[in-house]
Amino acid sequence: MADSASTKGGFGAWLLDPKRRGALLVTPAILILFVMNIFPLLWSFGLSFFNYKASSQRVPRFRGLDNYADVLTDDKVWERFQTTAIIVGSSVLLQLIVGFLLALLFAKAFPMRRIVLMLVLTPMMLSFVSVGVFFKLFYEPTFGVVSYVMNFFTSDPFVTLATPAGAIAGIVIADAWMWSPFVMLLVLAGLVSVPKYLYEAAEIDRASKWRTFRTITFPYIKSLLLLAVLFRTIETFKLFDIVYIITEGGPGSSTETIAVYLYRTAFQFFRTSQSSALAYIVLFIVIVLTNLYLYAVNRRAEEVD
Amino acid sequence: MKAPNVTSTLMGATLLAAGVVGAPVMAADITITMAAPDWPPTRFMKEHFDQTYTSPAGHTTTLDMDFIPWPSFYERVAASLTSGEQKYQMIVTDSQWLGAFVEGGYYMDLTDKINDDPELTAIMQDLHPALVSAYSTYPHRTRAQLEEAGEVPAPGVSYYGFPQFPDTYVTFYREDIFCDEGEMAAFQEAYGTNLPCSYEDWQDTDWTKWGQIGEFFQRDAGEMLAGEELTEPFYGIAYQAGKGYDFSTMQINAFIWQQGGDIWDESKAPEAQAEGVVNSDVAVAAFDEYLSYLQYMPPVAQTGQMDIFVIQDLYMQGKVGAIIDWVGLGEPVLDPSASTVHDKSAFGPAPGTRQADGSIDRTGNIGGQPFVLTTWNSDEVVDEALNVVKWWLNPETQLAAVANGGQSGLMSVMADPSYNDLRPWNRAHVEMIDWQKDVWHIPEFFEMLTQQQEEFDKAITGQQSAQEALDAVAEFQQELLEDIGFIE
Repeated sequence: MADSASTKGGFGAWLLDPKRRGALLVTPAILILFVMNIFPLLWSFGLSFFNYKASSQRVPRFRGLDNYADVLTDDKVWERFQTTAIIVGSSVLLQLIVGFLLALLFAKAFPMRRIVLMLVLTPMMLSFVSVGVFFKLFYEPTFGVVSYVMNFFTSDPFVTLATPAGAIAGIVIADAWMWSPFVMLLVLAGLVSVPKYLYEAAEIDRASKWRTFRTITFPYIKSLLLLAVLFRTIETFKLFDIVYIITEGGPGSSTETIAVYLYRTAFQFFRTSQSSALAYIVLFIVIVLTNLYLYAVNRRAEEVD
Repeated sequence: MKAPNVTSTLMGATLLAAGVVGAPVMAADITITMAAPDWPPTRFMKEHFDQTYTSPAGHTTTLDMDFIPWPSFYERVAASLTSGEQKYQMIVTDSQWLGAFVEGGYYMDLTDKINDDPELTAIMQDLHPALVSAYSTYPHRTRAQLEEAGEVPAPGVSYYGFPQFPDTYVTFYREDIFCDEGEMAAFQEAYGTNLPCSYEDWQDTDWTKWGQIGEFFQRDAGEMLAGEELTEPFYGIAYQAGKGYDFSTMQINAFIWQQGGDIWDESKAPEAQAEGVVNSDVAVAAFDEYLSYLQYMPPVAQTGQMDIFVIQDLYMQGKVGAIIDWVGLGEPVLDPSASTVHDKSAFGPAPGTRQADGSIDRTGNIGGQPFVLTTWNSDEVVDEALNVVKWWLNPETQLAAVANGGQSGLMSVMADPSYNDLRPWNRAHVEMIDWQKDVWHIPEFFEMLTQQQEEFDKAITGQQSAQEALDAVAEFQQELLEDIGFIE
């Protein structure tokens, strides 16, 4: 009998039975995942249906879907989504252009290539806070480097962050500076995977540079480019640190992204339930984007196979 | 039934006797963890505590200060309190947070403790009434209401905090250029009035002259300043105009109050209205005047990021002639390793609005922080925390704090003959403290402040007029306060 067998070896032997060993090994990870991730997720999901405020001791009242309705009909939320879309669109586009050009540069050999490549990769290894502080100081109109350089042309201090457009540009440049190297790495991986004989054949056929790029290079990098776009879109959609440090969402609310607004709602206004509802809407968008990303990854895997 | 033995009878009698005459305080190891912003006034408190504090109850007491950087101070404290971790026994808090955290059940009502302890009562009675009003009362009581209610502890008033660092804003100025004979003569010629050089001159400086100073000293690289050629642009004046936290509200409120306008008055709820008061003609004119001087300030003012730290920095770099900033930020200005103007700086009262009778109204928004006790402490810890309060608000400790860049709210300490000479801004602080009022203390304070800062920021950066900004603030506050029942 199985029971008597396990009794013979004791509880340790029963536990370490090869049939249970796998489950035993993954249990700690699942427990940690549940406590640190799944439980807070479920808890905040539950909160999003009440009128709970973390700063108040009042007993929460059930509100059903009212918090979701409030969030979705709030003009401020839509303004923040628009701001986020502008920043995401501009920043990802700039990262693609710069990253792609850098990849073309580093795809060829040149003296000190490895050292320059290391330097170019440095920004993406820095923390968001450091990058935010760097750029805030760069843009400072009295002693910042941007104003100092522009002074040679305009003779007046250059105040980058004074207008909504300037402030958005300031954030986009900082984010693109940090993450263009990431796009470059992906594109570079595609470029180096192109078999050399294809280029040699194209040369024999006297194909133009544009045709060579369109018919040989681009097919190899297009799925990686798509990955870069999706990955950077997901990440930029959640952009918080750089915005908060460089502009705090200003001037006015012109650079306040949805992540910054979410933070304010949750931790400054303590509208805990409403912020949970908004967080779930944001999460839904991120999940949609992530699925697109996974779809692109799978397609790339199929292409490689 | 078994008879009790002699030993246990004696022990019982001893315990009973101890109970009758009052339980003796047993010496214990007590750690008081205090949330504190990371800056000189709290650093000094910790240092001085370690050197001088002896528990009157015989405990071995450790003051464990959790120094938190200013920019994240509110979020860190709020997160700790609302998470229920019960980490802190004492908290250095902004007075405006009282409502949120008293209503949340985190800050302890000290009224009974003050009532029952003559030493604490004496301390409260010696505190400047502006500080009792702003730092201690919730629901908020104005100075006038407190005077009407009678001496501390007044019936019907609840007290929560004691001053850890009472702050006011004063003028920091460059004595070397403001007292330069050539500059003084040129200013006199240009505006027909004197350039303020001495403390007494600053006592007679109003906002009009503040604007003239700004215009006069705004100079490009290559121009002369006090006999020397400038290598970079120089600006005459700066005050706070930042979007973050309360970094424009504190200065704009001063303009509004001084000109006879008002903010929504929580002490008159639920009758007090926001619409028609917050955006009154007087308030709009006052805000317009505030905006009009920004053109003379360093260009960072155009970004809405000219907060209290930025103006302190620009001043220390020698790029601005005069700033209005908190006394608490004065110490680094005198530090030769941090400031290029450490030996050229002097201090005066902040400018104000000239009244019909020629006097100057300097009503301002109080700064600084009280410290409070939290609600989850044992009686033993509460008593020891109050001993720490008494130690800190002891005249000897207060004078030592003032000599090291702190400030005192005790009237007896401020009246000490040595007080004004302890730090160069003390005279101005004493003069300014009598003018102080506070913003709201209700739990929705942060929501109101954030929306207001955003609208002010749009006006500061030229995206809307003063009227539009105050209309938006008034509308928001009216709606919010009606929703939560503060306006009927």
